Amino acid sequence: MAVQPSRSDRRELVRERAFTAAGLTAAVALVTTIVLFLVQLFITSRASRAAFGIPFLWRSEWNPVTEQFGALPMIIGTLITGFGALLISTPFALGIAIFLADYAGKKAAEPVKYLIGLLGGLPSVIFGLWGLFVLVPIVSRFEVWFGKLVGSEALVASGTTGVGLLAAILLLAIMILPFSASLILESLLVVPMELKEGALALGATKWDTIQNVELPYVRRSMVGALVLSLGRALGETMAVTMVIGNGMRLPHSLFDPANTLASAIANQFLEATSPVYIASLIQLALILFVIAIVINIAARVILRRGVQQ
Amino acid sequence: MKNRRHVSILLTMLAVVTLVASGCSSQGGSTTVKELAGAGATFPYPLYSKMFDTYDGATGVRVNYNSIGSGGGIKALTDKTVDFGASDAFLTDQEEAAMGAPVLHIPTCVGAVVLSYNLDGNPALKLDAGVTANIFLGKVIRWNDPSIAALNAGLSLPDLAITVVHRSDGSGTTSIFTSYLAAVSPSWKSTVGAGKSVSWPAGVGGKGNDGVAGMISQTKGGIGYVELVYAEQSKMPFASLKNASGTFVVPSLASSAAAAAVSLPDDLRVVIVDSPAADAYAVSAFTWILVYKEQNYAGRTLGQAQALKKLLIWVLTDGQAINEGLSYAKLPATAVTKALALVNSMTYGGTAIP
Repeated sequence: MAVQPSRSDRRELVRERAFTAAGLTAAVALVTTIVLFLVQLFITSRASRAAFGIPFLWRSEWNPVTEQFGALPMIIGTLITGFGALLISTPFALGIAIFLADYAGKKAAEPVKYLIGLLGGLPSVIFGLWGLFVLVPIVSRFEVWFGKLVGSEALVASGTTGVGLLAAILLLAIMILPFSASLILESLLVVPMELKEGALALGATKWDTIQNVELPYVRRSMVGALVLSLGRALGETMAVTMVIGNGMRLPHSLFDPANTLASAIANQFLEATSPVYIASLIQLALILFVIAIVINIAARVILRRGVQQ
Repeated sequence: MKNRRHVSILLTMLAVVTLVASGCSSQGGSTTVKELAGAGATFPYPLYSKMFDTYDGATGVRVNYNSIGSGGGIKALTDKTVDFGASDAFLTDQEEAAMGAPVLHIPTCVGAVVLSYNLDGNPALKLDAGVTANIFLGKVIRWNDPSIAALNAGLSLPDLAITVVHRSDGSGTTSIFTSYLAAVSPSWKSTVGAGKSVSWPAGVGGKGNDGVAGMISQTKGGIGYVELVYAEQSKMPFASLKNASGTFVVPSLASSAAAAAVSLPDDLRVVIVDSPAADAYAVSAFTWILVYKEQNYAGRTLGQAQALKKLLIWVLTDGQAINEGLSYAKLPATAVTKALALVNSMTYGGTAIP
């Protein structure tokens, strides 16, 4: 005859089951939310696909008056600002992380880490205001200087505002820097001491150790950190809106006003009334969603290949 | 034990929710309605909140107004979730068709859109329809262009690039301004057209009045359009504009109200830009409250219809005294008469609302 479970055992069992159920519910709810999201976006953007079909992706006209819509300028704007920002911020992020992990003493590293965290938590509208009032005038001066340098009359004439792709890229680079820096730093800090000491014991210099031991060790999490930062750059709305110039045409240079998917939606959704217009804006959201998914999958593939090697 | 307590808490919560919900629905059956809801345009929001606050004090009827944008207001009225919508642009035929029933346009004030600029010394600039259209078409690109100089004898304008600033978000302000340009310039009408957001041939976009103002103040040689209220409050310089009868008019409450003092169609669904009145400022327009003509819909009571009618009559009469204090132009008498006729044409179940 089996031993009757005691009262406290039974209570323990109930608690455990409840906990499992709660955890499962949360997990399922998350997945369901994402799927429902996608389904909802897909359904509500139907009118746009009915009107423009797949060519919506490479049409470059965006005219609410004649109701002709195409996403190409915003797709280009999103990708250029996102990857441009990543390109500029990555070397800095890496430098900051390596410096804090291996060169700065604990006394110097702690306050800097704190400040990086603070910068990362700043609301994006503050970055936007700073961008508009500080960064944009600097970019404007650079534009005029650059225009004179290459002898472009058009650039000097049209490039006096400073708002445009370049300003957005620079602002985004600054905004994602704290993210990528602190994520890379976290991974550098968990490199096992034995590995570092082993390398040093073999006569490797500090730089050799970083290059041949630490960086290969954290490669995986570094790609993860960069993808997370890229995700933030692609979806950033408020700060971008304030400095990108919100041009709905294809930009011809880095100084041209442009727009991103997120910024276009935020700007126009409130006053959009015609069904095709609304559906086209939702279609932009769907495209942004898909871009985010594709980038995440790509990162995973890169990671796996890196691990196999 | 513990679980049973959880269940009882859950049941209590459910009961409370049900009670609250039934409380809400039973309110619809009462005869004296103490609350009305509206949603829509952001432009008249300061005016409406002051008006409705005063109305609450005078009558005890509370009006909740959400300034979610004209588009949102139209959608809320289409979905029948509010008593009235508010919009800076009148409904297009397509939007009116989506409503499924006739909608009345009740104007509440006259708004003006002004051209603000950033030039050294803040010279008093004069512009006319053709030059303004050419600037926004990107055809006139420097401040010392002969066409600008011809209108501003005595001013020495700099050899500086003109930077056009427009709204990046959809807005009634843009609708008014582009309606004006489309009315005065055939090439604007054919290449760009009018609407709450358009495909701009030139310039950079800022979000909201403050975004445009910020961009203008940042850029030497910038020019853009903002609401008169906003330009006055933020002390921005603005240009006087040559109107249809050939006079240069400084935008003001009086000159924008004058634009509406012309013969108006009975449904008041009209853009009054480029007004023929002699002292009118050309870029002026109504902003409207939208209501269904037939008030017996979606289970509405006669009490609600009466409360709404009373509110609208008050807005058109006593409420107008509030307009100018907040820099919104009053409706001229002719417009008030026609608007009151519209309000009185509202019906409940096919008969006039007592």
